Amino acid sequence: MHKTRKFFKQRKTVLTLLCFLSLFLLTGCWDRTEVNDLAIITAAGIDQSSDDTLELTVAVFAPKSASSSQQSSMGGEVGPNSGQQEVVRSAEGVTIADAMSKLQQKFPRRLFWGHANAIILGEELAKKDIRSQIDFILRYPEVRENAHIFISKQPAKEVLALNPPLERDISKVLLELSKLKIGMDVTAKDLSEMLLKDSGAAAIPYIEILPPEGGSSDNQTIADITGSAVFKNDKMIGKINTKVSRGILWLRNEVKLAVVSIKPPKTEGYISLQLLRVHSQLIPKIENGRWKMTLKAVTQDDISQNETTLDTTDPKNIKMLEHLLSREITKRIRAAVDQSQKMNADILNFAGAFHRRYPAIWERNVSQWDEIFPQVDVKIIVDANIKRPGTTTIPSKMNREVGR
Amino acid sequence: MVRFIKKPPKKKKRTHIEEKIDTNLGPDALSSSLEDNLEKLKSIYSNCADVIFRPFLIGHSSKAALIYIQGLSDYEEIDDSVLSPLMEQTFTVPANVKAIIEEKLTISGIKEVHTIKEAVEQISSGNPVVLVDQNSIGIAVGLAKWEKRSIEEPTAESVVRGPREGFIETLMINTSMLRRKIKSPNLKMKSLNIGKETKTQVMIAYIEGIVDRTLIEEITNRLKRIDIDGVLESGYIEEFIEDHPYSPFPQVLTTERPDVAAANLLEGRAAILIDGTPFALIVPVTLYSLLQSPEDYYERFLIGTMLRWLRYVFLLIALTLPSFYVAILTFHQEMVPTTLLLTVAKSREEVPFPALVEALIMEITFEVLREAGLRLPKQVGSAVSIVGALVIGDAAVNSGLVSAPMVMVVAITGIASFSIPRYNAAIAFRMLRFPMIFLAGTLGLLGIMLGLIAIIVHLSTIRSFGVPYLSPMAPMDASAMKDSLLRMPLWAFRRRPHLTGKYNKNRQAPHQKPSPTKGTE
Repeated sequence: MHKTRKFFKQRKTVLTLLCFLSLFLLTGCWDRTEVNDLAIITAAGIDQSSDDTLELTVAVFAPKSASSSQQSSMGGEVGPNSGQQEVVRSAEGVTIADAMSKLQQKFPRRLFWGHANAIILGEELAKKDIRSQIDFILRYPEVRENAHIFISKQPAKEVLALNPPLERDISKVLLELSKLKIGMDVTAKDLSEMLLKDSGAAAIPYIEILPPEGGSSDNQTIADITGSAVFKNDKMIGKINTKVSRGILWLRNEVKLAVVSIKPPKTEGYISLQLLRVHSQLIPKIENGRWKMTLKAVTQDDISQNETTLDTTDPKNIKMLEHLLSREITKRIRAAVDQSQKMNADILNFAGAFHRRYPAIWERNVSQWDEIFPQVDVKIIVDANIKRPGTTTIPSKMNREVGR
Repeated sequence: MVRFIKKPPKKKKRTHIEEKIDTNLGPDALSSSLEDNLEKLKSIYSNCADVIFRPFLIGHSSKAALIYIQGLSDYEEIDDSVLSPLMEQTFTVPANVKAIIEEKLTISGIKEVHTIKEAVEQISSGNPVVLVDQNSIGIAVGLAKWEKRSIEEPTAESVVRGPREGFIETLMINTSMLRRKIKSPNLKMKSLNIGKETKTQVMIAYIEGIVDRTLIEEITNRLKRIDIDGVLESGYIEEFIEDHPYSPFPQVLTTERPDVAAANLLEGRAAILIDGTPFALIVPVTLYSLLQSPEDYYERFLIGTMLRWLRYVFLLIALTLPSFYVAILTFHQEMVPTTLLLTVAKSREEVPFPALVEALIMEITFEVLREAGLRLPKQVGSAVSIVGALVIGDAAVNSGLVSAPMVMVVAITGIASFSIPRYNAAIAFRMLRFPMIFLAGTLGLLGIMLGLIAIIVHLSTIRSFGVPYLSPMAPMDASAMKDSLLRMPLWAFRRRPHLTGKYNKNRQAPHQKPSPTKGTE
């Protein structure tokens, strides 16, 4: 009796073990994908091809030509960027998902969106409506929410076909450019947030194909950020240039690399100042039914070039320069504010600030915001501080005149 | 698995070793007739050409015999101190052998033997026995001496700073090395003989007053339970005294270094020294003690701490790096930086195998190379390293069978596993790497997490002689972190680590942190 029980107990153990082992084989790898089976999309573009169809273009990394070009360069053959590392193909469809399924037929490998870091929307499409495109980007699980969004002047298809001389591919170029924060830097998530905000306005970096350098072939160039596309209610309503969009960056605390040149009175030449950090605030106020907004920016700068004879070690001069600098920055911010009020697109998100500060009044006036916004009184206060005169204290021009 | 399918063997009635020997030899006391005694011994040692029976006359009058085994005794000393004083002079043989011992034999290690069994034990262990006619007591002279290896630096546990001596195959020398380090009479050595045929001497060394007495009792009991025919290496003992025989993790620490053994004795552990092997077993152990090197304590404490952390990190790498690589490459391609993925994709383009197979091929090849390099005679060893460099190297990549990043991963994993100072612990983790790769290849990161959880659950279940394997981490003992996560300065180790049961808490006097004022006092 005891023996048989033991026997069954052992059998049970063996069976349980076998069940567990077979789990591996049964589940085994059903969703396994080798890297070799993936068409890694590095950038995607969406264009309007006709009234109700759109064209999806993807740039897919081509590991085969990349590895062969690597080998040939190892063999001593140095060609100028030999071999395109990208395969660019497009397909049409009524929606992106539809276009994608058609595009998939043109690829022997599974399209993989996990590394699509740049998504370019053609201007024509952007002028129509982008919400449905954003919907795909946010809904489809493989697409990254931190993919960067760009609006291009030329069809996105042409941008993707570029073969940048310096970087690996166009997505890398655009990514690096937006990282420098010389223009707006907007990810899919940011964009959807902007469009959902009280203001319903958004600014997305606007790119244009840079004319190729002399001597190089047509597509040996990049696309660079030439401004921002301004969106309102999911439609592109216009564009602002780099200078103005930088004014927006100042207010969004996003400026990273900025050089401001000012021309002090009574001397010749410019003094260039490099931005170190900036902190800005929106202070809304409603007084007697007048909507007012105070923009406050505190910035710290270094002198990076001095063409004048001004002695930058003199506190008096510094004071004067700080004053000039804040005037200059005010001018830039003012330009952005004016532009956005003129377009009636609240890209600075004044709406949010008012909403937070005066929730009750906001609720009442939310429907009239389009009328209110252009009328908002904007006051700009810039507090510029010059931290250091740079690594030399005497201006170069003084050497000749004062130096013995 | 086999155990589950096979019927478990019937429990045999356990016969005590001592009894077995008795039935073999008979409980006979030595008789007073030399003839009888010799006859019995000769029948015991029948067909033993190396046992020498040397008859002679004591004092030119009384018959006697010297019995010894070739090569186990000091011949010169036998001639000078036993045979010549007894044979060269004429004297009347006293009725009692004691008188012979007192008057004639100029030897310190003398023992009387009363039974045949005792005589056989002495002869077998190398001490020649003198039997005198008309005397029922034999004399065993302690002249055992055989060729032994000189004391060398242990190759498996080398240190930059620290003593260079290692245990050797002779138990006596090993105990003397321990005794030289710990001169206190509290250092106790309990002797046992294990092995029906080999009768190997095993010593339990511990320090009275530091060790928990029940621990010694437990060790003694477990050792006494062993009933096998031979003990040729400490591994034979290890497998019989472990708490969890199916666990992949070692539950005793093996060391060749007397300083390691002494340090562990001072922390309240016990060492089991076994004749015939330079490896001493130390119990109880924890996972952390297996990850320590003696040098942690010999170098400055900051360096010791850093090295420990390096080992902990590389332990994880050794266990999981290939599986992480496989998981990310087959399931989670979106998790790596774009440039890295593109580089990997480029190098994997020509590889015909899936990442899982690629990893297994490379890992198995690496293990085989390691094993082959270990087993081969030294002269051929260099051939293996050349082939190895080709296999795990450029040629492997150029042939297109594996990708370069995989070679890198396998190489790092290999190096990482070598950074674990204890071979038996390192090999456990190396072995677990393979199931981890399988889990990663089938279930991705989820599989890796499952595997890690299973390993941690197992580790926290097992004990070594009553001490939880993960202590002092689980159960948590904050004060013991001083010597597990960190290596605090030696003057901060005021208390001994708590192992089990009662123990002597205080290790040293408090407030010994050096400072200038103290120096001038």
